Amino acid sequence: MKISFKDVKAKYRELFVVEKSPEEKNKPFDAKKAVKDFWYGKPHEERRLGDLYVGNTGLYKHREWRGVKDTMYYFNMIWLYNYAHMVTDIMKYGDGPKGVVEFAKGTMRYRWMGQTYLTVMHWFDRGLEGVRGDALKASAWHYRGMVSETIRQFMRMFEADKKLHGGEENELWKKTIAHNETLSGNIFYGWRDQLDDVALEMIPYFVSVHVNNHTVLNYIDAAQSIGLPADPCPMCQAEYGLFVQDDYPDYSPVMLTSNEACDGSVATSVLQDWFLNRPLYAMPQPMRYDDPLVQEHCQKEIEGAWKFIEEQFGIKMDWDQYVKHAQSFNKLTEFEWEKWDVAANTPYYPITGVAQALYRIYYSQDGDRPIWHEMDAHVKAIMDRTVKNKINCFPKTRHRAIAWSCAPLYYSHWCTWAYNCWGINTIINMDSLMFDQYLRTDTYEHALEDLSWFNEKAPMRAMAVGGHEHILSLFDYMERFHCDMVIMYDQLQCKGMQGIHGVFEDEFRKRNIHAIWIPHALPDKRTVSRAEIRDIINDYMTTVMREEPLDPTLLDFDDSMSW
Amino acid sequence: MKAIGKFFFKLVRTIVVIYAVLFAVFYWDLDGKFLYYIWEPLMVKRFDNMKRDDTLKTPYTMKDNVE
Repeated sequence: MKISFKDVKAKYRELFVVEKSPEEKNKPFDAKKAVKDFWYGKPHEERRLGDLYVGNTGLYKHREWRGVKDTMYYFNMIWLYNYAHMVTDIMKYGDGPKGVVEFAKGTMRYRWMGQTYLTVMHWFDRGLEGVRGDALKASAWHYRGMVSETIRQFMRMFEADKKLHGGEENELWKKTIAHNETLSGNIFYGWRDQLDDVALEMIPYFVSVHVNNHTVLNYIDAAQSIGLPADPCPMCQAEYGLFVQDDYPDYSPVMLTSNEACDGSVATSVLQDWFLNRPLYAMPQPMRYDDPLVQEHCQKEIEGAWKFIEEQFGIKMDWDQYVKHAQSFNKLTEFEWEKWDVAANTPYYPITGVAQALYRIYYSQDGDRPIWHEMDAHVKAIMDRTVKNKINCFPKTRHRAIAWSCAPLYYSHWCTWAYNCWGINTIINMDSLMFDQYLRTDTYEHALEDLSWFNEKAPMRAMAVGGHEHILSLFDYMERFHCDMVIMYDQLQCKGMQGIHGVFEDEFRKRNIHAIWIPHALPDKRTVSRAEIRDIINDYMTTVMREEPLDPTLLDFDDSMSW
Repeated sequence: MKAIGKFFFKLVRTIVVIYAVLFAVFYWDLDGKFLYYIWEPLMVKRFDNMKRDDTLKTPYTMKDNVE
């Protein structure tokens, strides 16, 4: 193939050159303004962030210039810092330099690792686009926490993995508990000093979709390729698709599963029982979860899980360990309440909608780990400063939105776009408000009772599937967080939520609430694309709200092939 | 003394050059472009062609009837 100079020039322009708009081209050069824009960054309305994209890839011709201070912060404390810490985390969690070898082996073996996680800095870019100052700093710490914890989990998987060690059941394999991602990490606190617990699908499926949504499509297709139906929740399809494709790490002698969130997860549990072919304990949670009659049953299920672990590993549950981690986790909960207070009652909350949602659901599902405390300390220092100095972190806010129901995993950063384009600031979301439970540790009975409640308040159970009597608490939260708009997620393959669609339509009309329905299929971008989601919001904002976009270049762009 | 000075000058110069190169990689999203156009297609090819165990051959087991 012959490549001409013209081709090279065209490729260079496509990849690196930001085309100026006709108005900009005709503007006389203003040196003073150019210097000001260089130093402080362009004002929100002049940024033209949509011009930075390379075609439909989501890549940037160049990363955004945010002014000297914020650009250098992003370069030094986010981009460089995170790349460097990824390497140190791999060594730290991988027991020294040999961790790099384990990491390389995992990268070459598993699609969800090799194809997905190396693109992680673009996950930061998408979520932090247009963000400035303290909001940039605090939100980036959330991302840093999630990256570090992800590395910890996959390094444990790789180190213990039979598949990466010639089928050998090594010491770590014998000391790791595998469990479904919807089974909370706090169940296993009693063994944290002797065993480690790692959710099986959290890293290969859930987090991977946020970072790079290309990978998951293989697992969904694999599930359907063996004749499993295409209409259950695609989360469950992806979870068992991992097994159909033999792309799951084999790092534990046991498996604990759950029926959370729905009957799709029951299928996951059944299929995992087949594919894993090893001792498995299913810990179901009742649909009518807050019925007083089921509480004793839930507690017995937890005790059953504990007995199962004791029998399989021959190690007694250590009550002191449980107390230590539960009390430590309560500190995270206390700070979460502090964050909610600032978000609800002030404009000084320094965290983007996407960082708030992902960090909260990640740490509350994962349980007590040192990294969350470290990150919370950073965020607390920033939040204390924004509150003390009354710094409005999202000054272009036109609407305070609450996002309700389950979010599209492939477009969790839609709220960053919505703020940049329309000034819609997502203050809080449903997933953040789950697990709202303090864990008492004064007696065994109290501990078990609270732990049971904690798990019953898991994602998609407390306020969605099974929690239909609670889902209308949206309106209470809307008031509490002083929101004037609802972004209503419409997971097209969630039968539970589809069943209650009409009730919400009626309630929104009755209460005269601005609500924008966002249809999606959780991890599968092929059903409703990101562009279609943006179109729906654009249409509502222009036809119903009659507002002008803050950045018109973000109205219509193609990111169909982006991560 | 002069040698130490020279060494430090060289060290600082090397650090500055590395820092500038890294900034160029960051600013022009060269990491993203490398991963998107080179790394990911290679990985897709690798994983699409990877030989894997046929998990469907995993035996079923039947448990005893619950009394």
